[in-house]
Amino acid sequence: MPPLKSLGPGFPVIDSDFQSFCASLGILSVEDFLLHDLDALAAQADLRPSPERLKQGLALVFTIIESMHQPWRNGMEILEDVQKNKRILSTGCEGVDSLLKGGLHEGHVTELTGPSSSGKTQFCLMASAEVAYKHKGLVTYIDTGNSFSAKRIAHSIGQVDKKVLQTVMNRIICYSVYDIFTLLAVLHELEFRLKSQICERDGIARLLVIDSISSLITPILGSNGPQGRGLMTSTGWLLKKVADEYGTAVLVSNHTVSGNHGTTKPALGESWKVIPHTRLLLTQVGGSNCSISIIKHPSLENATSFSLLNHSQFCITYKV
Amino acid sequence: MVENGVKGWISVNEGAREMLERVLGERPVMMLPPPLHRVPVRAGNVIEISGTSPSAKTLLLIQAAVNCVLPTEWEGVHYGGLGQLVLYIDLDCHFDVARLQQVLRYRIFKARGGRVVDWEQNNAKGGNVELPLIVCDDELLSLCMRRFFYVRCYQTSEFLATLKTLHCRVQREVEAHGARIQLLLIDNIGAFHWVDRATTISVLEVQNRKSFSLQGVWEALVHDLRKLLSVHPMLIVASKASVFGNTTNEAERPFQGRFSMDIADQRSRMKESHKHKFREYMPAIWQAFVTHRVILQNSDESVAASNGQHKQPIHLLEWLLPALNTVDKFVVGDAGAVLVP
Repeated sequence: MPPLKSLGPGFPVIDSDFQSFCASLGILSVEDFLLHDLDALAAQADLRPSPERLKQGLALVFTIIESMHQPWRNGMEILEDVQKNKRILSTGCEGVDSLLKGGLHEGHVTELTGPSSSGKTQFCLMASAEVAYKHKGLVTYIDTGNSFSAKRIAHSIGQVDKKVLQTVMNRIICYSVYDIFTLLAVLHELEFRLKSQICERDGIARLLVIDSISSLITPILGSNGPQGRGLMTSTGWLLKKVADEYGTAVLVSNHTVSGNHGTTKPALGESWKVIPHTRLLLTQVGGSNCSISIIKHPSLENATSFSLLNHSQFCITYKV
Repeated sequence: MVENGVKGWISVNEGAREMLERVLGERPVMMLPPPLHRVPVRAGNVIEISGTSPSAKTLLLIQAAVNCVLPTEWEGVHYGGLGQLVLYIDLDCHFDVARLQQVLRYRIFKARGGRVVDWEQNNAKGGNVELPLIVCDDELLSLCMRRFFYVRCYQTSEFLATLKTLHCRVQREVEAHGARIQLLLIDNIGAFHWVDRATTISVLEVQNRKSFSLQGVWEALVHDLRKLLSVHPMLIVASKASVFGNTTNEAERPFQGRFSMDIADQRSRMKESHKHKFREYMPAIWQAFVTHRVILQNSDESVAASNGQHKQPIHLLEWLLPALNTVDKFVVGDAGAVLVP
């Protein structure tokens, strides 16, 4: 939190008088104003000499606070924005696309949970290939377990011209990340780059894949202390911000842990459940087949619809 | 002058009838749409809806919003809404405007005499129900959508800043639309709980400096909300997600479900899971601010959908404050939450 005096040169009304008035009330930075009642401060200013100047300073602080939150929008504006800018990206796997009635939503965080070797990485790679090739979009792939494979992506794309393949592969950028702090740094850097690049909607599809986010968060969750969960919540909100502000579809993968009485449940606990918009669960049903079902979705009914997928190919055999 | 002042101070301002008329006019009693219909509420009440994720909390907020923005009557058709403005503060950042539009369209469709079965059949076929509606209702739809104001907050400081500047915003919109703000919806009041708890109180060089700890932040938030309510009376509905895992045996419920499920059974089981899952984690200052409490739970029963396609899971709703002895059941369909008798 920068101190008030750093505002000084740009805003002459924040002079030393105003700063000493604020310091007497325990306010040293603009953020401190958020915890105080501005009307009560104005009443305090009346008791001082030259209250008008102090009140001008308070009015300026008020306009700064107004810029500190996201703008208000009405329902029509949001609807038009979504209809124009937020598309649904197909994932390359018809079973999942039919289950999700289209595919991954730009602006939403989608989570794929499943036990180990149930095909989560395969799905992430397929989705990356689909977005880079079919939708000609940019993919940021954050790999936490050295499972990214350019060969499998090329295999998903199929037989194409070498130059085309090169262009497509150039659209996918892979980061190897092994702890939560590096992940936060990568996300902040991505956000900064997107903010400076996007002046107006450029219509480019964007996908952010994190495979798997649970291996980064599980080590910090630990005991009942709030630090680990606080970090997890901050990461989640940053993902949602990147998704919504810059029209990115975010796909994260999670593993499962055993619940009570031999059931399996997704890892990362109760506080994680509010972070993804859509949650999908992969369960193995014998052989190389697995079934994928929806645990949570903003508008579809959950828990009763599922698709059956062939593991090795993520093929089309599905039933609802 | 002083005599007049003292005499004026002890003289009668208004009689009881006038006061009642004034209060009921300013803060009329309203009924929220089902399944929240059991308790009449008024502006100035604060309702907290607790539940795990997912349990249809956001859907209940959306339905309350739709009920508020729809007009009472429009071009001869009775819609039964309040025709007022709604503010939605999204702390969870997972609001889906398509869902709002879907629920709004369904209400308009039903008010115009459409049948639920036709709507669902058409949707199931993948047919375009929207085409006829666009022609007739686009004006009404856009009028309603324009009465809905939305802001999202990615962190506590943004939430604080939003509340601080809310009064000016409300005044501007009330003047522009000529309607009052009836409803303030906050989605997931516990969104930043862990981050606020983890904010350590550093050694401060100034004695009276307020800190951004959980207590400090919530004192400021509740103070701002109270100020807002005193100037612009409105109904506040906040959803709250549980943050503690379920330590009771969730899988045990199917076994008990084989036997007769009477209300007492259900309530005793719900009470047990309440203790663990719905442990209160919000600071005392927020708990004192809340006037009504509702709990949502997912039950293991399901019921066949009206289009016969698949089973829909049943959700349970219970009022804790005021404590009612009934548990309402509802299912979530394309059109919103529908009560199950």
